[in-house]
Amino acid sequence: MTLTWTDIGRSHEHCRGKRMETSIARRIGVFVRKYYWAYLFILGPVISTTVFLFIPMVSSFAFSLTEWSGLQPPQFVGLANYKKLLFDDPKFVKSFVNTTIFVILGQGSGPIFGLISALALNQKVRFRAGFRTAYFLPVMTSLVVVATVWKMLYNENGLINGLLRTVDLPTTRWLNNPATALVSVIVTSVWQGFGFETVIFLAALQAIPQELYEAAMIDGANAWNRFWHVTLPSLRPVIVMIYIIGIIGTYQVFDQIYVMTDGGPVNASRTIVFHLWDNFHYMKFGYASAVAYVLFAVLALFSYLQMKFLGRED
Amino acid sequence: MKRMPIFLSVVLVIVLAACGAPSTPAPTTPAGVTPPPAGVTTITVWDYYGTATPFQPEMIAAFEQENPNIKVKYESLDWDAMFEKLSVSMTTGTPPDVATVDMTWVPTWASLGAFADLGPLSGGQVNGVPLNEAFSEGAVEAMTFEGQTVVMLEDFDVYCLYYRADVFEEKGLEVPTTWQQLVEVGQQLVEDTDGNGVPDRYLYGIFPDAFRWAQFLYENDATMLNEDNTQAVFNSPEGVEATQFIVDIVNEYHIAFDIGEEEAITPIKDGRMAMFSDGPYMMGVIKDGAPEMEGMWKVAPHPYSKQPSSYLGGTGLAIPVRAANKEAAWKFVEFAMRVDNAIGVYTGSGAAPGLKAALESPEVSAADPYFGGQVTMPLFLQATETAHHFPYVRQWNEMYDIIDDMMGSALLEQKTVQQALDDAVTEINALLEE
Repeated sequence: MTLTWTDIGRSHEHCRGKRMETSIARRIGVFVRKYYWAYLFILGPVISTTVFLFIPMVSSFAFSLTEWSGLQPPQFVGLANYKKLLFDDPKFVKSFVNTTIFVILGQGSGPIFGLISALALNQKVRFRAGFRTAYFLPVMTSLVVVATVWKMLYNENGLINGLLRTVDLPTTRWLNNPATALVSVIVTSVWQGFGFETVIFLAALQAIPQELYEAAMIDGANAWNRFWHVTLPSLRPVIVMIYIIGIIGTYQVFDQIYVMTDGGPVNASRTIVFHLWDNFHYMKFGYASAVAYVLFAVLALFSYLQMKFLGRED
Repeated sequence: MKRMPIFLSVVLVIVLAACGAPSTPAPTTPAGVTPPPAGVTTITVWDYYGTATPFQPEMIAAFEQENPNIKVKYESLDWDAMFEKLSVSMTTGTPPDVATVDMTWVPTWASLGAFADLGPLSGGQVNGVPLNEAFSEGAVEAMTFEGQTVVMLEDFDVYCLYYRADVFEEKGLEVPTTWQQLVEVGQQLVEDTDGNGVPDRYLYGIFPDAFRWAQFLYENDATMLNEDNTQAVFNSPEGVEATQFIVDIVNEYHIAFDIGEEEAITPIKDGRMAMFSDGPYMMGVIKDGAPEMEGMWKVAPHPYSKQPSSYLGGTGLAIPVRAANKEAAWKFVEFAMRVDNAIGVYTGSGAAPGLKAALESPEVSAADPYFGGQVTMPLFLQATETAHHFPYVRQWNEMYDIIDDMMGSALLEQKTVQQALDDAVTEINALLEE
């Protein structure tokens, strides 16, 4: 048999293909042998996340397109729930405005208190561990317990009004006054939560290399300059993280509203999740699911914007 | 490579385990507990009464002894959590066999067909007594939805006037029987302890909710909805007058104050409140929360303008329509409705038994030393004769919140009473059309 160049070329191609297939197969085999235990370990969380998070998320979206009481078959209504929510539900609008105010005031003050206390604790002060524990204790306490105690403090004859009376300052029914109900709950939330930011900021402050501060001092930077040009830029990733987590969490505020004001008086402290819960109470599961998805969309947008504008230098 | 089959097998097992969950939960038996023998039915009972429940272990044991083929799995839940948990369980098809339900929840659930019709199960009677003889007329009406008996009334809630008898006696005042007298007595009763011109002691406490508002509405011969429950009509002149009266006693006469979200026991104990309207269960709350005030409080019929009246509520025993063991569940309900067990509603929780025979028993009708030796239950029973339950409409829970907001905006003077009522009527009418 005479081999032609074509035969040799084809044979060469065939062998090269076979070598390539073997090479890919071998690479996959090596990869799997090397990492299959890792995949085995993460399989559990992946399955549970899929079953308990992703599947319910998809189901919830499906329910949001229906009118469903839970006890009778769901009726498909398309985007009617979303239309009503966005254009014909004054309580939802009020809830959204209240929640946004909550986020602005809560996140506008909480991380600042956290940073100030972290800066203070970063100094060489005595009993630093005790102070750190004291700041973090409210964070570890159940939010329901904190809300219940603060509800008693805000009582007409509670400690706050008592202190105000002793210095002849005017008092009010903090949780029963539409002008003060929401702010009163915000104060409670900030008090309860800023210890978390303190601990995070403190850890981040201690990771900033001292050489940066020494170099700044050599260049003649005063305390404010060092804070503005060294500390803050170094804390940027942590600040972004705290605000992303904080805004996501604060937009979902519910426990303290439920315990302290029940969304009142006259919806003055009604929030988005409280509105969602109310609609479950009305057995309007489809509509409640639509509220959840609108909230999800808002949070996704905020997170994207924050990552894009605040995290872009990282 | 030898480990690949093992790896793939493990993956396969996990995936199959995750996907192959049974459609109904398999019965589980706690460790150390002997499972019931074959032929024994286990019924699940959910109860929100708490530690003062009439369903004490002795009562359950007595039921099981009498019904050896029925075992009771008793679960205690908070009142707050019961609505959500029952909703979810009925939605998923795994409800308990018996549940205590607040009568204000009945409209929503009964309209969705969530409760079993107790008519066929009971044969129209309980423990051999026809329902219309075992319960008052108002109670039977409250237990019925569109011709079906959907709950058995375990305890009833109807409002009377609680008042500080010691302060009344000290000031030489008579208990008011009309709205006009309420204002006159209130003006002599209240005190301004801090000198700011606004009374802050011995006031009438107003809970700005549908329960109390409904009482004043009914007392002024007004109604919430029209006869076929298709339209709200409480912005009638009588409705405006009733609501205006509530606003006036707070903001104009200053003989009342808005309790808001506060627990009632707080102004009771600190003396801010010397009169309020509430149901029989409140007797137990005051006794527990303010034992030091024994002898200071008494109960009287609530003052009215045109006719005595009140809202009628309470706790019912319901069997969900998807319950697995309805016949066995009915046996438990009927056992709970025996006179001696129904008396436990009062001796345990201080509430008023729904069963007439229990209400009229010596144990429940005895003089109460806490209330100065007064026999209080007949006053509440008398109030049931003129009481009305809330409208049985699917949208009641939403209506309730709209009325709450209406009361709040009127009391805070964000709107005039007429405007607040008109807006609430418009909102409720739109709801009723859904």
